[in-house]
Amino acid sequence: MSRHLLTGYCLMIYAFLLLPILVVVGASFNAGAFLTFPPQGLSFRWYVVFFHNEVFLSAIKTSLWVAAVSTVISSIIGTMAAIFYVQHAGRWKESIRLAMLLPLLLPEVLTAISLLFFVYSIGMGTRTIAAMIIGHCLITLPFVFINVSAAMESYDPSWSLAAKSLGAGPLTRFRRIMLPLIKPGVIGGCLFAFIISFDTFTISFMLKNVGTATLPIQLYDYLRTNFTPEAAAVSTVSIVLTLFVVVLSEKVLGLRIHRF
Amino acid sequence: MSLRAKSLKPFALIAPAVLLLGVFLVLPYINIVIMSLRNPGNGTPYAPGFTLGNYLRLFADSFYLEQTANTLMIGFITTFVCLVLGFPVAWQLAKTQMRFRGLAYGLVLSPLLVGIVIRSYGWTILLGNNGMINRTLISFGLIDRPLGLMYNSFGIVIALVHVFLPFMILPLMSALQGIDPSIEAAARSLGAGRITAFRRIVLPLAMPGIQAGCILVFVLSLSAYVTPSLIGGLRVKTMAVSVVDALIDTFQWPFGSAMALMLSLTGAMMVMLFARLTRMKWKAN
Repeated sequence: MSRHLLTGYCLMIYAFLLLPILVVVGASFNAGAFLTFPPQGLSFRWYVVFFHNEVFLSAIKTSLWVAAVSTVISSIIGTMAAIFYVQHAGRWKESIRLAMLLPLLLPEVLTAISLLFFVYSIGMGTRTIAAMIIGHCLITLPFVFINVSAAMESYDPSWSLAAKSLGAGPLTRFRRIMLPLIKPGVIGGCLFAFIISFDTFTISFMLKNVGTATLPIQLYDYLRTNFTPEAAAVSTVSIVLTLFVVVLSEKVLGLRIHRF
Repeated sequence: MSLRAKSLKPFALIAPAVLLLGVFLVLPYINIVIMSLRNPGNGTPYAPGFTLGNYLRLFADSFYLEQTANTLMIGFITTFVCLVLGFPVAWQLAKTQMRFRGLAYGLVLSPLLVGIVIRSYGWTILLGNNGMINRTLISFGLIDRPLGLMYNSFGIVIALVHVFLPFMILPLMSALQGIDPSIEAAARSLGAGRITAFRRIVLPLAMPGIQAGCILVFVLSLSAYVTPSLIGGLRVKTMAVSVVDALIDTFQWPFGSAMALMLSLTGAMMVMLFARLTRMKWKAN
């Protein structure tokens, strides 16, 4: 009896977790001019509007571009740091772990503000998209580090030594021995970095340069003044894009994620 | 080749990460502390010279004190509701055998894949005066006028609970998984009732998970920006929203920095207090 009660309770919580997402997706098929749920008739009209809206399309392009660049950068830096952490850190291990997780532990809004002031004070400013990419690298770095270092823990250093004794240089050893073995961790880290970068708001909001917005910023700006279902269509496309990345990586690359 | 291997010192591996974090995280944090002590500018973001005036202004103005109290209250309630709602789910995921465990775990994680703007937007559709909940209640004749579910702290708490519930469930789950079921069984065989066994055995052992989850959710809800801004609108502003207003809309960099630092320090103090209180309580048991 109490077991059924627990199951019923948990189902309610799962429904609560999914509810706002389902509502957004449902509202995007609304045929009417206003945002209502349940929708008044089904139609793709707001998707058509969205696909003709240059502002949102360019925001998607910016988001994908920023996410791709910051994923590449933070995956390289994070993987190197994870290798050092597991194999060479010694008594510095705990400090390095803490330092690498720092961007996760500090409030994102404070990190965003302080980075904004800093890029202005060194004369870099937000004229280019560089400041935003640096911000995205900062917040995605911990996820690469967590995933790759978890994969590194099961890597036996004697495999590298064996390859070394057979005459392989450091880069060959990394490319031919270590990378294939820690690949699931690296891919998991990249995936998390990409999704987090694609969806992050505060950092992008503070560090955006005039005229280039990522999708979450554009959506937020739009929502403050408009109430048409177009925003729901944009949101649904964004959800589908994220799901697509997750499913694709799982199917093609094999997935192993360590988030905490 | 061996020469090249020798020159590749292991420190080169960590150098880029240290450089990135040092230059773009640590230096900016030092910079923002200095900024909070600058004189407010007239037409410029800040003026030369230093002052404590920005901090004094926060304490002198009852508006900011009330806002701080309100923000802390929203954080406390959100954390408490997350704990109460999340514990049974974490328990089921950790302790019971079920066929759809993978699916259930996926459901808990799924909101994390959807951006925070979209999730908050979903709540505006649900909670608005013309939203789904109010419309449904009116069409069933249960209410005449829409209930005020949005533009107040109530709406903000509901949306924040949704956004941060996964961050409570995950640490709770891993703590509960680590508890050896035979310890609980031993307590029961020694005559402890269900509730006593739970209170004296399970809760203390789950405490690290409870602490981690509560701290995570509390800190995240204090510094949340999008959700309070979209749900609270212009009527209810949390501190994080006011901070961003001060910086982006009115360009008061020193005052905004002081407010942001006060918000973070208050949060950190609450977390330390919480950690100390819970540790003392469970040691006494």
